Amino acid sequence: MSTAESDLGSADNLTEREQKAVEAQLFRLADDEYVQAERYTFWQVRAPTLESDLASANNAQDELGHARLWYDAIQQFGYSEESLLWESEPSDFQHSTFVELPFEEGDWADAVLRAYLYDVAENIRLSALENSSYKVIRERTSRIQGEEGYHVEHAESWLQRMAKDSDASRRVQEALDRLYPYALTLFEPVGDVEADIVDLGVRTMTLDEMRKEWKDRITEFLTDLGFDVPAEEDPATPVGRDNNHTEYWDELYEEMVSSYRNLGRHEATKLMDPEEDE
Amino acid sequence: MSSDYDRPRADANAEPCSYTEYDTKERAVGDVPATGEGAEGLDRDIWAALYEVEDPEMPVSIVDLGLIYGLERDGGDVTIDMTLTYSGCPARELILEDVERAAESVEAVENADVRLVWSPDWSMDLVTEQGKQALRDFGMSFDQ
Repeated sequence: MSTAESDLGSADNLTEREQKAVEAQLFRLADDEYVQAERYTFWQVRAPTLESDLASANNAQDELGHARLWYDAIQQFGYSEESLLWESEPSDFQHSTFVELPFEEGDWADAVLRAYLYDVAENIRLSALENSSYKVIRERTSRIQGEEGYHVEHAESWLQRMAKDSDASRRVQEALDRLYPYALTLFEPVGDVEADIVDLGVRTMTLDEMRKEWKDRITEFLTDLGFDVPAEEDPATPVGRDNNHTEYWDELYEEMVSSYRNLGRHEATKLMDPEEDE
Repeated sequence: MSSDYDRPRADANAEPCSYTEYDTKERAVGDVPATGEGAEGLDRDIWAALYEVEDPEMPVSIVDLGLIYGLERDGGDVTIDMTLTYSGCPARELILEDVERAAESVEAVENADVRLVWSPDWSMDLVTEQGKQALRDFGMSFDQ
């Protein structure tokens, strides 16, 4: 584990190598959160209780807020929101395929377990960014970490309750067997730049270290509840991080940009644009 | 497909620049929140105008919520450092615009810009006594 010894400075004084490493870290953060939020919204009117509808909607809003913080940080390198989201290609995105899988209607166990696996990974990743050598990441992380804590708590409390019911626990186990290899894609590299991310102190843990901590944490918790965590070591393919995605992502992406396209937009209009033009 | 990092293709020639839609600054300098206590003259007028801006969801001034982290003025140019209570705040553009307008409503202020600041973290501890009173009247509780 390496620690940040020096500060890289702000967006406009990074070397090419530093910028590439910082961007690679930021894109994965932004894309994961954004797509995870897109999928959460499915549950905001389909969860089993009004309370859980609200929780799903709220978690989605949190992740969208975090995605916005990360995309804003990326825009400091001169990219526009249009090119990052609305006018890019589905294969430009580098989120893990874990977050793009669709839900099956009624399978609340899948939603709860997926949130749990993701949020623990997110918690570990953010811990590894708290001392990032890139200030923008370091300081936004602290803000985000505060909001993410509730997500893990929420998922854990649902899993504890579901573990006590035979039908619900069977569904959780099925979801675990199905989703586990996909969850491993969260820890896959985006490319050669991965080594630089750690060498330059952008992140203070390697992917292997993060995966190991994640595995230990979820195994302890889930085993205690009576679930069997798969022993599998290989991530599902495609992994997403290398720009290769499942067909589900193409469908979701089409849906995501359809309003922008149908309205013939060329820019991401802001609430206040007309008055600013005065 | 190459496994090397190459996102996004749509904007391959993007150049780093320190200006974004709303300029951001990573960390406020000095104690937060800033409330304008002891301000005089034109600064005092600006603070009075900022006090008039309320949170879109609660009848409490954004200054009393502790969201203003700093105010700098150079002649008629004002820069306000501000945070938000929540990263997913859907009213972000609205609030930032309200704050700029409020400052610009003061005669002698030519231009006001808000810089969004995310550090240090905002928490309930930053709400002023007056703000807490307003929130209590609104039905919120602080005594846990």
